[in-house]
Amino acid sequence: MKCRKVQRLLPLLAGAELPESKIPSVRSHMEECSRCRKDYEKYAILVSQTRAWFAENRTEWQEQEWQRIVRTAIEQGAEKKTAMVPWPFPKVWAYVLMAGVMLLITVLIIRPPFVEQTGLVPRYADVAQMGKPGGMEEMGRQEVVSMTMVSRETGLKIVWVFNKNFNLEENE
Amino acid sequence: MWMKDEDKLVEEVLRGQHASFELLLQPYQQGFLNMAYRITGDREEAREVCQDAFLKMFKYLKSFKKGRSFKTWSYKILVNTSYDFLKHKKKYMRVIDSQKSASVYELPQVEQRIWRKQMREKIQGVLDILSPKEKAVFLLRDSEGLSVREASLVLGCSQMSIRTHLSRARQKIKNHFAKNHLKETGEEST
Repeated sequence: MKCRKVQRLLPLLAGAELPESKIPSVRSHMEECSRCRKDYEKYAILVSQTRAWFAENRTEWQEQEWQRIVRTAIEQGAEKKTAMVPWPFPKVWAYVLMAGVMLLITVLIIRPPFVEQTGLVPRYADVAQMGKPGGMEEMGRQEVVSMTMVSRETGLKIVWVFNKNFNLEENE
Repeated sequence: MWMKDEDKLVEEVLRGQHASFELLLQPYQQGFLNMAYRITGDREEAREVCQDAFLKMFKYLKSFKKGRSFKTWSYKILVNTSYDFLKHKKKYMRVIDSQKSASVYELPQVEQRIWRKQMREKIQGVLDILSPKEKAVFLLRDSEGLSVREASLVLGCSQMSIRTHLSRARQKIKNHFAKNHLKETGEEST
């Protein structure tokens, strides 16, 4: 091991932080190199003196002061209790998710007019037609329903006509 | 004295028994204050930092994972709070003028006494020549007695990095003392 590398390891050897695997090679180098030996001596003094100095010059809490500071931290940190149930999701994504769910519920249940309606509910165009002459009245007066069946093989055509109570009115 | 398990104390605090929080902090009571004092260099500021750190510890106790060391978790908060405090006050604008390494020379037996005396007088001042990370590593190890592994958990870096910073810190301090020693012996001889 060369002096340059040993010089980096000497402070750790003096403070007992050097991994055990490296200790023999550093020690064997020190046996041959007086400069590194002297530096090690300095580091050893440095470590022991600084540790002793830190141990002797410790700042102490006054008991009352300590208790005051801890209590202040607890008071400031404690959550204020309210009658309301606390919000269970502390993360931002939960708020975004909840907003999405609320929007979906709005679309499915309330169906605001800007959403295009499909399926069983009449289309906007149909609803608009209701106000026109013959629109609403036509739909309200529809009391007869017919059903037609045509045979592919014979071309025979049967037509059933039902009234509003679904009673058979006519059969052609 | 019988000490409750830290995990149990944490659970108690989370259940609302706030008195357990003080018991949780008690073993590190002096350590926290000293660490904050060494970093800030001022007793009043150290107390302020401690209060801030305790508040953060209390608030974020929910995030403390069971089975982990409360010591390293709390020191991590304390060190970060201390440096945040310093950043806020912009204290780290000082010019470091003692970075040049001095030549190493013979250390006769008689001079060991001078070295010891010098160090004891100037250790607190010497901390300012270290970078924030070197200072934190140096204090955690030599002032608070944390192991290399514990220091790595506190600062969130590898053990190799801790050793590198520790080695550099001690080299800087040694060189600083050697330089001052040269100056003083030079002045005495003239």
